Amino acid sequence: MKVEPRIELEEARAPRLEPSPLAVITTDEAVPPSGTAALALAGVAVLALGLAGLSIGNFMVDQFARSAWLGWTTLGIASAGFGLIGAGVAREIRALLVLRHVDDLRAGFASGDAGRMMDAASTWSRMVPGGMTTAAALQAVNDPDAAVALLRAGPCRTLRDAADRLGRVAAVQAVAGVAAIPSPALDVLFVAWRGVRLVRQVAALYGVRPGVLGTLGLLRRAAVAATLVGVANLAGNTAAHAVLSNPLLAHALGDAAAAGVAARRLLVLARATALACDPVPPG
Amino acid sequence: MTGLARAGKTAFLTSAAANLLALGTGQSVLPGLARRLKGRSIRVALAPSGASGLPRFDHQRHLAALTQDPPAWPERTSAASMLALDVTLGRERLGIGLPSQRLRLELLDYPGEWLLDLPLLRTSFADWSASVLRRLDAPAVAQHVAEFMAFSSALPAGAPADEAMAATGHRLYRAMLHRLRDDAGLSLLQPGRFLMPAPGPEPAWTPFFPNLGTAGLEALLARRYAAYVQAVQRDLNEPMFGNLDRIVVLVDLLTALHAGREAFDDAAASVAAAARALRWRRSWVETAWALGHLRRPPRVVTRVAFAATKADHVADRQRGNLAALLRNVAQGGTGESAEVRTSYLPIAAVRCTEDFVWTLDGRPVSAVRGRRIGDDRMLRSYPGEVPDRPPDDAFWAYPFLQVPEFEPLRPPDAGRGGVPELGLDTLLCFLLDDFL
Repeated sequence: MKVEPRIELEEARAPRLEPSPLAVITTDEAVPPSGTAALALAGVAVLALGLAGLSIGNFMVDQFARSAWLGWTTLGIASAGFGLIGAGVAREIRALLVLRHVDDLRAGFASGDAGRMMDAASTWSRMVPGGMTTAAALQAVNDPDAAVALLRAGPCRTLRDAADRLGRVAAVQAVAGVAAIPSPALDVLFVAWRGVRLVRQVAALYGVRPGVLGTLGLLRRAAVAATLVGVANLAGNTAAHAVLSNPLLAHALGDAAAAGVAARRLLVLARATALACDPVPPG
Repeated sequence: MTGLARAGKTAFLTSAAANLLALGTGQSVLPGLARRLKGRSIRVALAPSGASGLPRFDHQRHLAALTQDPPAWPERTSAASMLALDVTLGRERLGIGLPSQRLRLELLDYPGEWLLDLPLLRTSFADWSASVLRRLDAPAVAQHVAEFMAFSSALPAGAPADEAMAATGHRLYRAMLHRLRDDAGLSLLQPGRFLMPAPGPEPAWTPFFPNLGTAGLEALLARRYAAYVQAVQRDLNEPMFGNLDRIVVLVDLLTALHAGREAFDDAAASVAAAARALRWRRSWVETAWALGHLRRPPRVVTRVAFAATKADHVADRQRGNLAALLRNVAQGGTGESAEVRTSYLPIAAVRCTEDFVWTLDGRPVSAVRGRRIGDDRMLRSYPGEVPDRPPDDAFWAYPFLQVPEFEPLRPPDAGRGGVPELGLDTLLCFLLDDFL
């Protein structure tokens, strides 16, 4: 028996249909839990600081037993020393939080949510040097796409140009340094030091002032960013390095070839660090 | 992207743009395409219009209409417009990073009526007139064409080139085309601009109509037809269809099934005519001419996806039949060229319904339900069984109900999270397969 086609209206009112949520597709790599090395390092830090604190406390009690002025002097010295260490730790934590804040802003821009995007745009424009002018303009723009375009055309471009300038300065210094330093081992150290310094300079440009741990975090982010912006350059540099490492060519060209490769790597590093510090999605 | 009038081109473009842009921001849309990327990064951005003479397709306005409460479907398209998207895809081979791939997707919207002007480019006035008058002679359309046919048969073979006669014939022919479209549900109606005029004042060559005379009037009408064809070549074919390499042909088969045997056959003939008019094979003459003039040879269509739209208006169990019916209707339009890869898909670029099992006459039936536009109650719909081949007499003995106008599902995040779709993902995977 054939079922007759039909169309019927239901009696009850119903809300507008919404799509069932899809499974979230993520390509992020899983973050491994804190490893053994991190736990061991934390233990060493606790032991070093804790035992040092205890021994200084005991020493201070002994000093007060000898005389009051000796005790107060010891207390002042210990407070100054631990205060400086605490300030250093606080600075590291603050720098790490700023980096985390940049990641949050990046997530805000990528969320696609109009409110979050506008908040991220407003926050970041106030965070970077020279961004206050754009912050005022953002107040008048109520469209997140327009806000992102405004940021890209304004502060992003200015900061990226400045980062490129820093990269060029570092590259020139690398070439000069490698030419002047007699030992190849010292060359490596010099270029590595200049690279770390460049990362900190570019980060400071973006309002991120990293300490030691912050710099390490930034280097990790820059390495990820380099896969986005500089893969062609890096591949080219690797190829150039392979060719120029040929003993015959190295003999003919001297250290100038290796210096050229190092200089190009610093240029890429500057651009990668800038990308790691810039939460605005590239256009 | 082509399709007959009311096939859903504007909704398709709006959904494709919104979903691709959402994919570029990391949203969970187009899962098939996301899987094909295998973790590679994708960025999608609106491309600048540059100095293009074509207006920009206003996808934001159409998206806003779909997301607002109550939602609204796009109006009938009255002019051509284009939206271009720049897609940047990261790639990795054997662990070695390579420069990103870049692709520009140009999505073109235009009145569907104009699509059937393409076959006119290779048809003379006499041949066109003969074929039109032959089809108008069918008994099924007699009541809609009576006035024009009476005028046409009363014209003497040696009628002089009289402007008033040309204008009267044109007016009657145009009114007849509107009746055939609106009342009889036919699609193969030419010229398209008589139904949907181009923006601006009508040119002086507009008043013509099909005629099989031999004297002055016939010559005047033939000259005007030639001018019309030139305008189609200049305004439509060269800028829009001359540089395509992959194409989507949208067909609303469900509405044609409801409209009856004549309308269905007419829609099938329209699809075949439009498909034949596109450039499927490389012409060695044109290639040699282009190379001789140091120009790039014209592109040929290498991938074509025929899509049966409004597939969410029937239950999942029937969508396979819908794709098979489309294959049977459209096959032959692309010829036998081995260069062309073809796919037949049921899609709903903007999804409106959910599937459910409806017990009718004591038997469970796969049906759909959704809110009808302008109403806040759910409508259950089982329009009938979709055949998997062109329907025979037994099918037409039972009516296939008109598919209701449902309201679209609410797009997440006001459209920034994409637009709910059905089959669009598979279609994009097919079109971009070689790029991915």
